[in-house]
Amino acid sequence: MLTIDALRRFGAKTEEGLGRCLNDEGFYLDLVKMVLEEKGFEKLASSLERGDWQAAFEAAHSLKGSLGNLALTPIYAPTAELTERLRDGKEADYAALLTEILSQRDALIALRDG
Amino acid sequence: MESGFSDSRLNGERRKILVIEDEMVNRLILGNTLRGTYDVVFAETGAQALEILNDQFRTLSLVLLDLNLPDMYGVDILHRIKADAVTAVLPFIVMTADQDAEVQCLNLGATDFIAKPYPKPEVILARILRTIELFEGRDILRWTERDQLTGLYNPEFFFRYAAQFDARHPDIPTDAILLDVNRFHMLNERYGRAFGDEALRRIADNLRQALQGAGGIVCRKSADTFLAYCPHRSDYGDLLRLIGDGIDKDYHARVRMGVYPNADRAIDMERRFARAKQAADRVKTSFSGAAGVYDAALYDKESFNEQLLEDFAAAIRGEQFTAYYQPKFDIHTEAPALCSAEALVRWNHPRLGMVSPGIFIPLFEENGLIRELDSYMWRKTAGQIRSWKDRFGWKIPVSVNVSRIDLSDPLLPQLLEKVVDEAGIAHEDFLLEITESAYTEDAEQIVSVAETLRESGFRIEMDDFGTGYSSLNMITALPIDTLKLDMQFVRTAFRDRNGMRLIEAVLSLARSLGLTTVAEGVETEEQLQALKALSCDIVQGYYFSKPLPAEEFEAFVREKGI
Repeated sequence: MLTIDALRRFGAKTEEGLGRCLNDEGFYLDLVKMVLEEKGFEKLASSLERGDWQAAFEAAHSLKGSLGNLALTPIYAPTAELTERLRDGKEADYAALLTEILSQRDALIALRDG
Repeated sequence: MESGFSDSRLNGERRKILVIEDEMVNRLILGNTLRGTYDVVFAETGAQALEILNDQFRTLSLVLLDLNLPDMYGVDILHRIKADAVTAVLPFIVMTADQDAEVQCLNLGATDFIAKPYPKPEVILARILRTIELFEGRDILRWTERDQLTGLYNPEFFFRYAAQFDARHPDIPTDAILLDVNRFHMLNERYGRAFGDEALRRIADNLRQALQGAGGIVCRKSADTFLAYCPHRSDYGDLLRLIGDGIDKDYHARVRMGVYPNADRAIDMERRFARAKQAADRVKTSFSGAAGVYDAALYDKESFNEQLLEDFAAAIRGEQFTAYYQPKFDIHTEAPALCSAEALVRWNHPRLGMVSPGIFIPLFEENGLIRELDSYMWRKTAGQIRSWKDRFGWKIPVSVNVSRIDLSDPLLPQLLEKVVDEAGIAHEDFLLEITESAYTEDAEQIVSVAETLRESGFRIEMDDFGTGYSSLNMITALPIDTLKLDMQFVRTAFRDRNGMRLIEAVLSLARSLGLTTVAEGVETEEQLQALKALSCDIVQGYYFSKPLPAEEFEAFVREKGI
């Protein structure tokens, strides 16, 4: 079950995220669940696989916005870094960052379903 | 929460904010933050945003714009909004995590920034509040873009908007339409200003509704004049019916409409509406409201006038203007005796032939060229008087016209002094005719000029008496020597008994004041005898002679004798 405590243990800056939600815990948790369902993660993975850096940048940029506002730091931080690297549109080693992003998301999904 | 605080500062009414943001999580967070204080509408794509802006710009107080949208970069939206006169006045706050984009947005007129991830809700609300306050302070300016009475656009804004319509729809033919209210000032006078205002508001509302259906825009130009610009239609009857709906019944007023259809984009916007006005002016006071449609014949008149104005300078240089002389007869004696003449201007245009003074004099009066023409005519006439004296020993006083425009020149007495001086003629032989209507315009100034002229020896004739708001009082109050009864006044007077009594009264009063009386337009022996019986002093008219060129006038004088 997803709780504020669980999110805090996960590494989210819950105070910050809750603040943006006017301290409405239910609302905040709903948004977190929503971002986990984002198709952006899959879009990011497939764009990187295809080598479509522009599409990958856009996907990462969008995710970054939502993740940042919810202060889900363990997923937000690598997404922000990936966004910055993709901004130039050049090929680089993105695999490690993508793996980090996806595994942190999966960890959160496990928390939710646990 | 800060919403109570915000409410108090924006005095009550809830403002509406458009949030343009593609991420659902962000939309929900912003919606949650703003909902307590504002009405919020969302757009997820650039296309949606433009549609909402187009439909709801009137009720929006602020736009929050995310720079990254799926279909359009946020900067492009800013571009579009700022290029459109209507939406350009909306304040924008850009939301971005990208600091480089901030400069670009500032340059495009973004008012503020909100970083991503978002700052605390209080910060967002404070920035929004500040921005709205700032712009509503400027709302005074926005209000001046609307007409206070009717809420329609003001003309300046309207013309900008219309020009933009052209730019966006180069292929859609448009009509320029002008509407006004028949004798609106009468409405105000009879029922009061508030009633007139009410009628204007009703017309404005009708117009707005009618034009919305037609896809056009509308403004109040001035008092009771409205302008509309809309896609071309073939029939205007229904439009006029919609606009005039209830106006005649509830306000006893009739709306008049002029249309310049398929407006030519090559001519500027104001000229297009000038054409619509010409069309409206041709709609006489018909009982069922009618729409006048501009046609080229009207335009021909306008361009004809422009042609005349253009040709003026060359006409003076080329001496195309000449004086014709119409003899005046003293009718005290048994046989009328030629005693003086009136100089009348004629224009022999090299291409157009003889142009009627009825056309060019009002035209030149309108733009001041009449002063140059008059002074040209004075010199020519004075020279002619001198020449007749030198060549034949004739002493024929000739009257010249002094336009009301001339009278506004404080140097007029010196100017006329110079004319008689240079020609070497006597003041009493150079009679000055001042039209009656001039006295009613700026009486004080004209009386003072006329007095100065009389003191230096000129004789003043009041011309066209009986055409304007003639009053018998005026004759007693003004410094004049001669009263000239207007041709039309004389002719109508002979038609009925009342007219005869009036002319009798005028002549009798003039006589008691020691004024010389001249009747113009005398055409028959009968009229001549009647005027004689009423002790009119002098007559002029086709009964004796039409105006003649100098040589023919000379022949006429030789035949009749002086």
